[in-house]
Amino acid sequence: MKKILKNILDYLDPKTDYADVRFVETDNENIEVENGVLSSYNVSTDRGVGIRVLVNGSWGFAASNNLEKGSLQETAAKALDIAQASALVKKENIKLAPVEKHIANYVTPIIKNPFKISSTEKIELLIKATESMLKDKVKKSEGLLSFYKTHKIFVSTEGSEIEQTVFESGGGIVAYAIGEEDFQKRSYPSSFGGDHATYGYEFIEKMKLKENAERIAGEANELLSAPLAPTGTMDIVLGGSQLALQVHESCGHPVELDRVLGKEISFAGGSFLTLDKLNNFIYGSPGVTIVADATAPGGLGTFGYDDEGVPARKSYLVNKGKFVGYLMSREDAFKLDLKSNGAARAENWNRIPLVRMTNINLLPGNLEFDELIGDIKQGLYLDFNKSWSIDDKRLNFQFSTELAREIKNGKLGKIYKNAVYQGITPEFWLSCDGIGKKKYWHIWGVPNCGKGQPGQTMHVGHGTSPARFRNIKVGASK
Amino acid sequence: MKNIYFWKNFIEKVKKDFKGLDFEIVAMENSSELTRFAKSYIHQNVAETDLSITFKVINQNKVGVVKVNSFDETVISEGIKRAIGLSKIVPELDYQYCLVKPQNYKAKSKSSFYEKTANFTPLNRAQQISKLVKKVNKKEYEASGAFETGMETMMVANSEGVFAFDRKTKVNFNSIITKDNSTAHHSFISSNIDHLDIEGISDELLDTALRNVDQVEIEPGIYTVILSPEAAAEILSEAGYVGFDGKLIMEGKSFISGKQGKKLFPKSITISDDPDEKCTIPIPFDFIGYPRNKIELIKDGVIIDGVYDYLTALKYNRRCTGNTLPPENASMGALPFNLVMKGGEYSSEDMVSNTKNGIYINRFHYVNVLNPMSIELTGMTRDGTFLIENGKITRAIKNMRFNVSVVDLLKGVDMISRERKTKAGLVGPVVAPYLRTNNFTFSSKTSF
Repeated sequence: MKKILKNILDYLDPKTDYADVRFVETDNENIEVENGVLSSYNVSTDRGVGIRVLVNGSWGFAASNNLEKGSLQETAAKALDIAQASALVKKENIKLAPVEKHIANYVTPIIKNPFKISSTEKIELLIKATESMLKDKVKKSEGLLSFYKTHKIFVSTEGSEIEQTVFESGGGIVAYAIGEEDFQKRSYPSSFGGDHATYGYEFIEKMKLKENAERIAGEANELLSAPLAPTGTMDIVLGGSQLALQVHESCGHPVELDRVLGKEISFAGGSFLTLDKLNNFIYGSPGVTIVADATAPGGLGTFGYDDEGVPARKSYLVNKGKFVGYLMSREDAFKLDLKSNGAARAENWNRIPLVRMTNINLLPGNLEFDELIGDIKQGLYLDFNKSWSIDDKRLNFQFSTELAREIKNGKLGKIYKNAVYQGITPEFWLSCDGIGKKKYWHIWGVPNCGKGQPGQTMHVGHGTSPARFRNIKVGASK
Repeated sequence: MKNIYFWKNFIEKVKKDFKGLDFEIVAMENSSELTRFAKSYIHQNVAETDLSITFKVINQNKVGVVKVNSFDETVISEGIKRAIGLSKIVPELDYQYCLVKPQNYKAKSKSSFYEKTANFTPLNRAQQISKLVKKVNKKEYEASGAFETGMETMMVANSEGVFAFDRKTKVNFNSIITKDNSTAHHSFISSNIDHLDIEGISDELLDTALRNVDQVEIEPGIYTVILSPEAAAEILSEAGYVGFDGKLIMEGKSFISGKQGKKLFPKSITISDDPDEKCTIPIPFDFIGYPRNKIELIKDGVIIDGVYDYLTALKYNRRCTGNTLPPENASMGALPFNLVMKGGEYSSEDMVSNTKNGIYINRFHYVNVLNPMSIELTGMTRDGTFLIENGKITRAIKNMRFNVSVVDLLKGVDMISRERKTKAGLVGPVVAPYLRTNNFTFSSKTSF
């Protein structure tokens, strides 16, 4: 396949300022069980080629699932046509920040290939876990396992030839306690599809889904008859799973440089972290340090090279509370006279690379969990996301969580349902005065980050440990 | 793009590979092009051709599903073999599966395939964008947005003799214009490129943006609001997602559960899933080959029922309403494909002039479900929110966060416009009017 891709480059090289060609083949296995019964077992294979060209300073991109030689030539010609059309509405020539040429091969290190584990073993795991959740008011239980093997070949007119094979494993369980006018759900190990990572089947085994099923069902039952969360302003501690989404929405997205430059304004929106704020804005308290790290072992946003051929790396976004860096593509980095930090990622062969999160990690602090809650007189412990929303500059946010527990005189107390908290991003991170130790730190996989037109769903990670925030507005959904 | 004859031959050809087992095949072919512009220049410009063919094998009430994206003969035969293999090792379903019998498909109420749309080129799109950019630049605004054209085919067949084929073209144009904090948004969806009126869109954008300046801050609270069709369509889409799904209804997880036949809303509220509605883009059959007809969801304020996919219908002994999703989304249940809200008796101007104190909302941003049982939603306003005072739109206001139950919102509706617009939805389009409701809660504000 690499030879075919290089032949396309040979055709494009004299006609373009720059071109790259990506072949992507993805194997996916998705298993869903409801109430101890298999509800779907879907496998898919998907492959195709995407061709991106820069001609006289304007982009063109065309992609096809048809890998025959004639079709690929037509696709390349289409990309050239599109670039010419782009030039009709142009302001300045697009230029790319330099990147070294790389000839490389990257494979996710895994212990157990998930595609070689028997279907029966995977199904049985979910059947047992979901059966054991069906107690009291838990009338519905769900289990999910999902595996990906993505093989990519990237070649560019700058001479890079990069081959990567990335494995992903993920899954989780959900219990629904259903009453007359209400239902409550509890998910494990995280909400919206569980937890996901670039590990093999060993990641699923470590989750211990069966062993946690009854506890989760018990919490769902408890939630159904729990009182609504209190309304007011109080101190909160966010669990790692919820904090992962908080980092995602209020840091990961606003540091995307394409948003800052206005390229996403018509769809996802812009960002409050405007260019004047770089190295000149206090984003959070001194304990808050956030990095983008595509090299973190097992992170769902971990890879060898991004989809522009830039090596994976770790870079600081917020350092001791100060805003110090963006997520960048080559094109956007050039505008700041910087080099890309390897954050241009494409969902598949039929999508262009956009500025995307990798693993956006809040570095751990130095507190035990008991110390986090220890000096809160009246507050809430919140975890496992239920709902999220944030404005188009990433300032005003609101999250709700599956689980809320009272914190009273430094101890966890009764359970509440339908908890909601609201805030304004920099005020919220400035109120962070305690972060849990490394031993609580985990990279949560978020497999459903949406962006772009046509839409692209990206798999990203967020390393977090629980953290404390002071004087936060909380309430309950009706 | 392959035509109906290709697919008929395809089915005949692959039949033997299923070795006499029951099967279903769902195929979708897509050729789409999308030009994206920001700050008045084209920054992304893409085209794709893709295909998905899903083979579902039913073997002694066990089901194997495999999806591929190639016409390559080896890929096809391997895909079918894998589906058969899966059907041998998975556990049996907990209900008796039976294939859909051959159906009669009526002609669509209107065409949704237009050659001119199918042949629209990247240069054609750039020329249209250029017109918008030039017009708004004259007023010192910058234009951003996305312009998609393309065509799709869908084919569903099974071993009982079901064969359904449809093709359609698509035009999606959405744009925002901006100057400092002054913004406006417009969206357009159709099958027919001739219906796209760039001049009209440019004028409408400028009209809104020029009024959306010097925004004032208002305090959170309960307000009377008028929702534009764009805003109303988004609310209806979310309601369709968590309220009208028959699977959620049967599981007791929808506001409809146990309330069929009850009058919850004012008589003016009538919502249906209607492929025959003249303003929609018809989807004539679902992803299992069931023909689609008008389904009443709420009629004259009375809850009728939701929509049911084939699997939920089999499992709970209900009638499939022609809302089965693609096999990979089967566990979701069903969604309305052509949501339609009946228009009312007012003009949008009447609605404003009859409002003493209220807020006009042009668009929402990042709407999400807070509580599925009451369909309590949260989200932000964006790109044009205005104060209404003594029957007139007076001032622009800064963006606000809302926390609103759709059930309460619909209960509070007291004016609906005659005029309705077609907007993008989760599956097919949503046809929505302007709505005035007296029960809309803003919970917090922003600085812009």
